[in-house]
Amino acid sequence: MTEIMLLGRRAVREVVRMPEATIPTLFIPLFFLVVNIGQVSRTFPSSTPFLRGEGYVAFQLPVSLMFAVATATSGLALVTDIELGYFDKLLVAPVRRSSLILGRLMADLVRGAAASTLVLLVGIALGASIRSGVLGAIVIVLLSALFGVAYAGFGILIALRTRNVQATQSSFLLFFPLLFLTPNFVPFDRLSSIMETLARINPISYVIVGLRGLIIDGWNAGQLAVCVGVILGLGVILTGLSLRTIAVYDR
Amino acid sequence: MIREVSVSTDEISGPGPALADQGAIVARSLRRTFKGGIEAVRDIDLTVAEGEVFGFLGPNGAGKTTTVRMLCTLLPPTSGAASVAGLDVIRDGGEVRRRIGVALQEIGLDPNQTGRELLELQCGLYGITGRDGRTRTTELLDLVGLTDAAERRTKTYSGGMKRRLDLASALVHSPSVLFLDEPTTGLDPASRLAIWAEVRRINGAGNTVFLTTQYMEEADQLCDRLAIIDGGRIVAQGTPEQLKAQMGHDVVTVAVEGGDTEATEAALHGLAGLERIVPEPDALALYVENGAGAIAEIVRRLDATDITPGPISVARPTLDDVFLQATGRRLEGRDQAEPTAEEVTA
Repeated sequence: MTEIMLLGRRAVREVVRMPEATIPTLFIPLFFLVVNIGQVSRTFPSSTPFLRGEGYVAFQLPVSLMFAVATATSGLALVTDIELGYFDKLLVAPVRRSSLILGRLMADLVRGAAASTLVLLVGIALGASIRSGVLGAIVIVLLSALFGVAYAGFGILIALRTRNVQATQSSFLLFFPLLFLTPNFVPFDRLSSIMETLARINPISYVIVGLRGLIIDGWNAGQLAVCVGVILGLGVILTGLSLRTIAVYDR
Repeated sequence: MIREVSVSTDEISGPGPALADQGAIVARSLRRTFKGGIEAVRDIDLTVAEGEVFGFLGPNGAGKTTTVRMLCTLLPPTSGAASVAGLDVIRDGGEVRRRIGVALQEIGLDPNQTGRELLELQCGLYGITGRDGRTRTTELLDLVGLTDAAERRTKTYSGGMKRRLDLASALVHSPSVLFLDEPTTGLDPASRLAIWAEVRRINGAGNTVFLTTQYMEEADQLCDRLAIIDGGRIVAQGTPEQLKAQMGHDVVTVAVEGGDTEATEAALHGLAGLERIVPEPDALALYVENGAGAIAEIVRRLDATDITPGPISVARPTLDDVFLQATGRRLEGRDQAEPTAEEVTA
């Protein structure tokens, strides 16, 4: 446990010291939030049924939260360690290999919580109100951060398997199908039938629906359970694959 | 010693004298074949005694790094066996890692941490935490002369400073066996001397050091014993003196200043103990059994033929001559970064 904390602290320090890596990942969600609202708020006034009386900002907020936490930062940090040879130094130290992954994920949790808090506050400043209250807001931040931890597995897996910076960087391409083939702009039933089908089979849709429920509906146990289930499932699968991959790295 | 290393009681048991009992580092028929059939290391046998500085000398691509990576548990051997610090590298990898210090050829430093943070983290990974870790870090920074740079991020360090910090990070737990993979490659002569001094100090404290190098001078100066590796095989092994003595000759260089090289060569044929004569620009290199003893005869013969010899010098064979004999090629001159002896010892 100590070694995870030590490696996690180092990873967090890295995030803090390289704002140039974090700022662009925050620019995208905030840009989309402001621009989308500006462009469609007359099309979707708060009288629109699916907005439940809230402004479009509340509807869009969960998508921005997910944009903010879904990054390849950990994968890139890992592949950089591999390229610099620091990864070998860690491998040759008497630490469990899993700690090298879990330390990184700890930093993802911290960064995810900070980023989603910021985006949530911007959303509130732009007029969104959180129907589930303060506790709901805390749950939103926590779930967003956990989603970030789960999503980090993509980058980590590609980093470990390819050991190549460019390949790891290109993992952001996954972001588009995963986060846009969802009810991100309008609910499921407003999507064209093919888009609806794709959105319904995309597990990420249910994370958005769950977080959105906390914002515009209040507490909905069913939606929330599915949302938590998807995040945990994704996390268990991707983290499990990452741990397996590092266990056989050069073995 | 910061931390006592626990020794497991169930040491290696196996048929015959256990590998681990034969030395600090033992390899038997160690082999590594990479994908595509590249045989990086082919059946290497070596035994490094406790407290020895053992050198692995060879050109780039000879298999030095692959061997080090196998001995450090970073790479599993394709076949063969090895033990380090009394433990099998495959079966007891975890415990081997606890006992060894490693500075790899690619300097493994995190550019965004300061020297102090890097060493404190390294201490922590070896279980030296809190005040102990901070004390040890301060000690090591002082030892490698980086106290003034301790609060700077390592990306601002020069090549020599990075090497020294990397070396310090390999020493946090006072390992009994230290692996240094090309510790001075690319360093300026002054930094090289600093690393040499440090290696001698570490060895003076009783630790075993395994170092790889492509520099003759380094192998000659630092190593108690060395192995010459080429094409994944050990082609010669022994103390530098033994290896050079095996050559069985000295090199006498006779300068022929604007004179007749052919006539000079003709005059020296049949010299007692002469093995061969190699013409060089404006000089002749004579490989003779006893250089000092041959000089009088050389001068007498040249006098008799009215040739006025230029300066005559006698040199012992170098490790490069040993390398040449073992591989048919010269190692020296393959790397432009190789400093001359004068530069290094200046």
